[in-house]
Amino acid sequence: MPGLLILLACLLLGHFFHNVFTLPVPAAIIGMLILLVSLLLVGKTPQSLQQTTRTLSPLLPLFLMPVSTGIVTQGETIARHGPALLVILIVSLIPGILVCGWIMGKGYFHD
Amino acid sequence: MTELLQLPLFWASATLAAFLIGQQVYLRSGSNPLFPPILIGVALLSGLLLLTGTPYPVYMQGGELINMMLGPVIVMLAVPLYQYLHTMRRHWQRVIIAIACGSGTTIVVAGALTYWWIGDLPLSRTIATKSITTPVAVAISDQVGGLAAMASAFVIATGILGALMAPPLLRLIRRDQPHTVGLTLGICAHAIGTSRALELGQQQAAYAALAMTLTATLHALVLPSLLPWLI
Repeated sequence: MPGLLILLACLLLGHFFHNVFTLPVPAAIIGMLILLVSLLLVGKTPQSLQQTTRTLSPLLPLFLMPVSTGIVTQGETIARHGPALLVILIVSLIPGILVCGWIMGKGYFHD
Repeated sequence: MTELLQLPLFWASATLAAFLIGQQVYLRSGSNPLFPPILIGVALLSGLLLLTGTPYPVYMQGGELINMMLGPVIVMLAVPLYQYLHTMRRHWQRVIIAIACGSGTTIVVAGALTYWWIGDLPLSRTIATKSITTPVAVAISDQVGGLAAMASAFVIATGILGALMAPPLLRLIRRDQPHTVGLTLGICAHAIGTSRALELGQQQAAYAALAMTLTATLHALVLPSLLPWLI
């Protein structure tokens, strides 16, 4: 449970910065960056946080289901543009994949 | 029975049940990337809503109980990001450039195509969030005046397509070294790509997880201020 408290504290701080400085970045992302910087400063992940991460990670799709189910409100958009959107998604992936492969494979690479 | 359908607790339970079924189907299919648990879960839940004629706001009174955990889970992404940072210590410039250019290319093409072909502004802004892991995409989509529900659908569809397309396409251009495949899967297909990378190998998985979290962070920082200005 201390791990969850750390997450909630970072999230609250994220909301605080989001509201006080009216930042365009979502509060949860600010919270994530606060946690990342803290981890880098501390130099290791606390045991409780590791345990919370192990518990919550497999449940991530569950937490996304309520928002994703909002698709039922988008019937009209899907009926009108569904096939076009699918084509766009497929076509737009190709240059992205090629650019990644080209940059990562360019020149010498020692691993 | 109809009173039951009004109870928030019923819909919270239904969400959990749909998720568990989705997870079982995914495992039984041999972790087939065509059937990620969330796809099956959402399909079941949407079907149930349509079948019972339950409006989404009524569902959401129960869904909110589960939705509440989304914020803490986004914050939690810092933990794997911190753990994977060391994998890119030696070539972080190249990794950052690949992430910025690769993800930038795919969302610019998608956003431009949508705007040109369909001409719908909220939809164009929403599709620009497609390459980042769903929780972050939903948060950003809300921020830039997109459609959170569509964002999630785009992200899931992109994840499935990217996980299927990236490995063969990279093999075709002879760029199928483990780190390249992993990174590309993470950039183009986020969490679904990362789970595909996990099946390919440990090195692929580390790079995919790294790419996924870095892409999400980068887009979260850049998109909210850039998007309203671009389209």
